[in-house]
Amino acid sequence: MLEQLKDTIKKALPELDFVIGWGMGFDALHATPLFMYEPEDVDKLVWGPLNVHNLATYLPALKGRKVGIVVKGCDSRSVAELLQENLINREDVVIFGAPCRGTVSLTKIRKVIGNTGLIEDVNYADGTLTVKAEGASHEMALKDIRADKCGYCRFPNAVLSDHFVGEKRAPQVEEDTFEDLAEFESQPFEERRDFWMKEMDRCIRCYACRNACPLCVCRDHCVAQSRDPHWLSQQDGVRDKFMFQIIHATHLAGRCTTCGECERACPVDIPVLLFKRKFTKAIKDTFDYDAGLDPEATPPLLAFKANEDNIKEKEW
Amino acid sequence: MKIGVFVCHCGSNIEGTVDTKTVAEASLDFPEVTFATDTMYACSEPGQDGIIEAIEEHKLDGVVVASCTPRMHEPTFRKTLERAGLNPYMFEMANIREHVSWIGKDREANTNKAADLVRIAVEKLRRNQPLTPKEFDINRRVLVIGGGVAGIQAALDCAEAGLEVVMVERESTIGGKMAKLDKTFPTVDCSSCILGPRMVEIAQHPNITLYAYSEVESVSGYVGNFEVQVKKKATYVDWAKCTGCGECVEKCPSRKAPDPFNELLAPGRAINIPFPQAIPKKAYIQAEHCIKLTKDKCGNCAKVCPSDAINFEAKDEIITEEVGGIIAATGYDLFDWTVYEEYGGGRYPDVVTSLQYERMLSASGPTGGHVKRPSDGKEPKKVVFIQCVGSRDKSVGRPYCSGFCCMYTAKQAILTKDHIPDSESYVFYMDIRAPGKLYDEFTRRAMEEYGAQYIRGRVGMVYPDGEGQLVVRGADTLMGTQVEVKADLVVLAVGAEAAKNSPQLAEKLRISYDAYGFFMEGHPKLKPVETNTAGVYLAGACQGAKDIPASVGQGSAAAAKVIGLFSKEKLKSDPQTALVDIKRCIGCGKCAETCPFGAINMTEFRGQPKAEVLETVCQGCGLCAATCPQGAVQLKHFTDNQILAEVEALCRF
Repeated sequence: MLEQLKDTIKKALPELDFVIGWGMGFDALHATPLFMYEPEDVDKLVWGPLNVHNLATYLPALKGRKVGIVVKGCDSRSVAELLQENLINREDVVIFGAPCRGTVSLTKIRKVIGNTGLIEDVNYADGTLTVKAEGASHEMALKDIRADKCGYCRFPNAVLSDHFVGEKRAPQVEEDTFEDLAEFESQPFEERRDFWMKEMDRCIRCYACRNACPLCVCRDHCVAQSRDPHWLSQQDGVRDKFMFQIIHATHLAGRCTTCGECERACPVDIPVLLFKRKFTKAIKDTFDYDAGLDPEATPPLLAFKANEDNIKEKEW
Repeated sequence: MKIGVFVCHCGSNIEGTVDTKTVAEASLDFPEVTFATDTMYACSEPGQDGIIEAIEEHKLDGVVVASCTPRMHEPTFRKTLERAGLNPYMFEMANIREHVSWIGKDREANTNKAADLVRIAVEKLRRNQPLTPKEFDINRRVLVIGGGVAGIQAALDCAEAGLEVVMVERESTIGGKMAKLDKTFPTVDCSSCILGPRMVEIAQHPNITLYAYSEVESVSGYVGNFEVQVKKKATYVDWAKCTGCGECVEKCPSRKAPDPFNELLAPGRAINIPFPQAIPKKAYIQAEHCIKLTKDKCGNCAKVCPSDAINFEAKDEIITEEVGGIIAATGYDLFDWTVYEEYGGGRYPDVVTSLQYERMLSASGPTGGHVKRPSDGKEPKKVVFIQCVGSRDKSVGRPYCSGFCCMYTAKQAILTKDHIPDSESYVFYMDIRAPGKLYDEFTRRAMEEYGAQYIRGRVGMVYPDGEGQLVVRGADTLMGTQVEVKADLVVLAVGAEAAKNSPQLAEKLRISYDAYGFFMEGHPKLKPVETNTAGVYLAGACQGAKDIPASVGQGSAAAAKVIGLFSKEKLKSDPQTALVDIKRCIGCGKCAETCPFGAINMTEFRGQPKAEVLETVCQGCGLCAATCPQGAVQLKHFTDNQILAEVEALCRF
């Protein structure tokens, strides 16, 4: 399937400035974004559970250039959302899709193999990832170390693509039941508050969550740094860190496709995707809407209905 | 910046529970406040002069007045600043009356809160920018929605003042509810005799364009420049050709169609002219009852029409009209009284509504002005009137008084005696509300000269006695007994409710409406015909139940407002509009999508798409500012930083 994907990209490449995909990074465990300009670059392409990045994040900055992009199902939703928001032009983007079996969480792998310096070899076969590091070999079932989002994945195949390679896979679940959120919210308020105060205390304000987010498009005018308007202070403390996450999640309400890049990029493993899960569920419950499925849809927060179906404000 | 703070006593309204002197002293500690004082009535002439003197003496360049709501006096004080040579937008108001003194009794707490509100206003003022309004042209045409007596009055007054008037009427004829009435209280003059000529004037006035059987589809634009889409519903009759001869109505075989003009008392024809004085006197076809349109048979009307006016192919038509002002005069509808099971819930034919009774009394009604029982056509000898049906009744969600029912019931009792001299009338009432000129005298006449029996109490039950009569059982609260009256006919004084689809029209006009669907006036006392949307005015019962004199009065008042608006050479736009920072704008266009006024254009700047605000169109609602993910749109005078500064001023600890 990978060869077929490479062939497809090679065929399309002459028409494009370049195609974005994944190649191997500094070791066998870490994939890295790959920019393919020439056919020989395409040979470096990899496809598998290590393709953790959502490459759609690059697209808004490349608006106006003709580029190709390789997407997993979840990444394709980001592309759809960017199209809907006029942040990229459909005619400028060529989308290569392939069925995804899920991606790993490097955090979970690190918990198994420890903070090791040198990865010697990585093998993936039949749903099992084998990592050799510092002389030891670790066998891990993918379902134990996959990203949380893959557990409730409804779209393993690209929701839109120009070229789709391979056989479409059945979704992991039919309906997202938000069990993770329900479990978290079953705790009393004090525990939840203490949880976030503790988690957010680790935040080093690197804003990797923002930079990795494909839909964070304020660029140089992010509230995190802006003095006009001056929403966040530069004071140290959990309050402003927490405030930023709330603003981020609020801005993504009805837009976020829960691709999980924010949480994946976080160097201190703060579960910030949970904020977005909360908003996503609220949007789903209130408006029965999923972001990033239809580039032509009008998202509910941009629409005006005098009487919303699920908001009862008039009772006569 | 040098800021002056003026803390108003408002007589004892504020001073009664707020120590204004302490508030003024505290204000001197706020940043950039160089002058602060308390003042007896800031809005009075000496009060305003005091502000002007202080501006000059202390070289102030911004003013905070802590007094009442800005809805009331913000324009007043802005003008004061202008007179003192300052930009009127270098002004902020702290509402320490409605938000403080009127709602709390603790003087110390109130004083602290008032000082906090002043601090907030100061922090906002420090970030104010001088703003200048833009001027724009007025389209001196007015749209009147609804051709009842209020709309007719408004339209005629405007037309007489030389304005072009567009009138849109939902039914096929104007005249509204008044056209259905037989006589009017308290003078008992014939309704159609006094209304008829005014309706004719509407038809003949060169300045008035009438769209009957039409509805307002959508409204865009803003004061001075509205664009209105009017849907002309298909009548299937070419009104340019129709002479109103009525030949078609005679020959129409579909005789079970509803006749809404006659309040469904008798079946009508599928093709119909509501009444002889209809304006326009043109026929229209009720499509769902027309044999030709439903089954493609018949076509009798087309055969008999001498002017070949029938057109079965007709379609709804959309017409665009451009106007500068709008008067809503959509009137009322009757409450659906059939929720009252105790009155038979609509099952007894001889229980009729007051408006149905009115049609029975009318010479142009289905009975030719003879009062007949719907069940057997006999003349009733005992008529019972029940008041407050769907008025002053919380249990059916209508707690308000409809205002006119007491009067029309007295009138109907009088007319009953006139029509049937040997009849008896009984009126069950709660209270008699007759506060108008000659009104109380009129109800007395019904009792004293016409012998109507008034029984104070509610009716508990109406039921047929099995022998052709109805038994009305109720309380007589003055006698403290139960009473039973046998009646040939029961007339329910059904209350008024907002006209059907009022909320939908309100939303198109972007005006507010209350819990019952009545349109909200700008101020219950001081702005009775204005709305909070500039250029949109109200007349008649659409604002609340009203009788004819009040509706006519409001029609004239609304017309006066429009004439006043149009007498200005140009209108000034409110400069508190949205502003796009193009450095930040990423051209996603979300603001343009959400703007309810079409005030945002997408343009190009150095090859990049950017949003641009049309200042005269923007109403400053702030939707775009809230929508813009980048914070690139800011509302002038309500920037994020101003709001944040206000929050910070309040949450200092």
